[in-house]
Amino acid sequence: MNLYQPHLMTIEEVVDETTDTRTFNLTFKDPEVAAEFGFRAGQFGEYSVFGEGECTFCIASAPTRKGYIECSFKAAGKVTAALRRMSVGDTIGFRGPYGNSFPIDEMKGHSVVFIAGGIGLAPVRCVIWNVLDLREQFKDVTIVYGARSVKDLVYKRELEEWGKRPDVKLVQTVDPGGQTPDWKGEVGYVAAIVEKVAPSSKDAFAVVCGPPIVIKLALPVLAKLGFTDDRIYTTLENRMKCGLGKCGRCNIGPVYVCKDGPVFTAAQLKELPPEF
Amino acid sequence: MKTKCISQADLAALVADLAAAGTQVVAPVKSRDGRALDYQRIGRFEDAALGESALPRRSLKEFFLPTSEVLLRYRLKKQDVVIEEVPAAFPPRIILGARPCDAAGVEVLDKVMGWDYRDEPWFGRRAATTIVSLACQGVDGVCFCSAMGLSPDATKGADALLVPVGSGFVAEAVTPKGEALLGSRRFAEGQLPASVEAFREAAREKVAKNLPAQPAAFHEWLGKSFDHAAFNAVAQRCHGCGACASVCPTCHCFDIVDESEGLDCGARRRNWDSCATRKFTLHASGHNPRAGQNERFRQRVMHKFAIYPRRFGEVLCSGCGRCVRACPAGMDLPELLGQLFRDAGAQGGAR
Repeated sequence: MNLYQPHLMTIEEVVDETTDTRTFNLTFKDPEVAAEFGFRAGQFGEYSVFGEGECTFCIASAPTRKGYIECSFKAAGKVTAALRRMSVGDTIGFRGPYGNSFPIDEMKGHSVVFIAGGIGLAPVRCVIWNVLDLREQFKDVTIVYGARSVKDLVYKRELEEWGKRPDVKLVQTVDPGGQTPDWKGEVGYVAAIVEKVAPSSKDAFAVVCGPPIVIKLALPVLAKLGFTDDRIYTTLENRMKCGLGKCGRCNIGPVYVCKDGPVFTAAQLKELPPEF
Repeated sequence: MKTKCISQADLAALVADLAAAGTQVVAPVKSRDGRALDYQRIGRFEDAALGESALPRRSLKEFFLPTSEVLLRYRLKKQDVVIEEVPAAFPPRIILGARPCDAAGVEVLDKVMGWDYRDEPWFGRRAATTIVSLACQGVDGVCFCSAMGLSPDATKGADALLVPVGSGFVAEAVTPKGEALLGSRRFAEGQLPASVEAFREAAREKVAKNLPAQPAAFHEWLGKSFDHAAFNAVAQRCHGCGACASVCPTCHCFDIVDESEGLDCGARRRNWDSCATRKFTLHASGHNPRAGQNERFRQRVMHKFAIYPRRFGEVLCSGCGRCVRACPAGMDLPELLGQLFRDAGAQGGAR
C-alpha cells in the first residue's frame, strides 16, 4: 500500500447545512484503521470520489469525539460536485490526517475568541468542540460568526446550541442586505462586529478562519483589541494534491501549507509573500 | 575510489550480459530523424549513441517519476469500492550513459521525495536502478552545471562514472551499486591514461565560462528579493506553456487525477504538472493566489533557488540548460541568474 492509497470510509449521515453546503459523517470501513486513527484539531485530509478524484478539506469534527470524522463542503468543482451526488452508505476515500494543528494545550487556561466567516466555520468548529468538550480547562469562550445572508449560515443546529449555553458568548451576523425580517442577530461584516463586541485580549487566543477577505479585515481589528500576532491563529487552504509536501502546489514563499500549516499565526502570515 | 577500464567491445558484452540476466538497459538513443537524442530502453549496445555529445531531449526524471503513473486501480461495486494496489517492486534497470546533470537531478529530488513521508514509487525505482554517468564534454553555451556546484564530470547521483578515453572508457565506482557493476569480468584493471584528466579539465573550463558560480548565501538574498524587478521584466515573455518544467531534471510538481477505464473501474494517476499554468493554484472558488504569469514564473525561480535550498540545502537545478533550449519565447534562465548573481553581490547579499 503506497502513501497515495486512501482508506475507505462509509458515509453514515448527510446533513444539508445550506442550499449548497453539506456535511458528511464518515466512519472507516477497516476496523483496524478505525481503532488506530487519531488526529489533532486543525488537521486536514484528502477526500476522494473514485472516478472523479481527490479534494482537500479540514476535518470539521473534533478530535475529542471518537469513532467518526466529519467534513463539510460546498459543490464547487468536479470532485465536490460528485461528493454531492453521494448518499448514505456510499464509499469515499480518505488520506490523512495531514499538517499541523491548533495549539490546544497552549490555549488551556486562557480565553478563546473564535471568528469565522461562511464555510470558514468548518475548521473553527473542530476547535470550538474540542474546547467545549474540555470546557472547564478554558476561561471565556466567544464566537463571532458571520455569513453573507441568513441562509448561508452553516451548522445552524449547533449555533442554536452554542447560543443557549451560558458558558459561551455567541454573536451571529450577516452581511448588510442578507438579513430576514425575523433575524435577531447582528447585521454587518464580521470584522466590524468583532470590533463592536470587543472581546478582551487579556489571557486570550484568537482563532480566525474564513475567506481571505475575512482574515485580512479581522487581523487589524484584533490588533486594535490588543491581541498580539503570536496569539492569533488561522488556517489556510491552498490548492493541494498530495498533502505530503511533494506535489509543489501549496507553496507560499518558503512555506509548504500542507506541512508547515495549514495552521499559522498572524505573525507567520506577515512573513509570507501575498500569495494566498 | 577504485578505477577500471572497459573497451567498447566489452561494454557491448556487458550490455548483453545484463540483458540476459533480465536487467533493463536504458541509454541515449538517436531519435528517428537522427537529429536528437532520447533516453530509451535498448536491446543491444549498438543502439546506444554514447559517442554523441548532445543532451537527450528529456531528462532522466521520467524513469523515476513517470509522465503518467498509476497509483492505484479501483472497481466500484454498488455502494462499495475495491482498491487494487499497484506493485511496489520494480525490475532491475541500468541507465548507461546518463548525463551527469541528469544523474545529479535525480539525487537532488531524493530530498523532497523522502522528507517525512517517503514516496515509495520513487524510491522503489531508485533502489532498482543503477545509474552509470558518462562524463560530458559540455554541450553548448547554455550549459551551466558548474554554476550550480556541479561539473561536466560530476558523480552526484551516479553509481559509476565513465570517462571516454581512446576507443574505450575509464570507469570509476561511486557507490556500492557501482562497485558491484565494476565487479563484472568485462571491466579490466588498467593504468589511468593522462588524457582522462585532460578531457575532464577541458570540459570544466568550457562550461565554467557560461555562468560564474552561484555566490554564497545567494538563496537567502533571493528569498528576500521577492519584488526584484527582473522577475516582471523577464516574465513578460512567458506563455505559461510549461515546456521548461517538462524537460527539467528537477521540476517535480505533479497532479493526481482519476481516469475511468470503464463504467465501474479506473485508475488514480499521478501526472506531471507545471507551476507555469494558471490552473495550478486556482481555487474552486475562483480565487487564484498566483493569478498572473509574472507571479508564476517567479515561483519557478524562487522554488529552485530560494525555497528548495532553504528547505533541503540544495539548489533545485542542475544547470542542464534544457529550459533555455526548449522555451518557445527564448527565455534564458542562466542569463537571468547572471543578473541576479551580480545584484546579489552588489547588494551585499552574497559573501
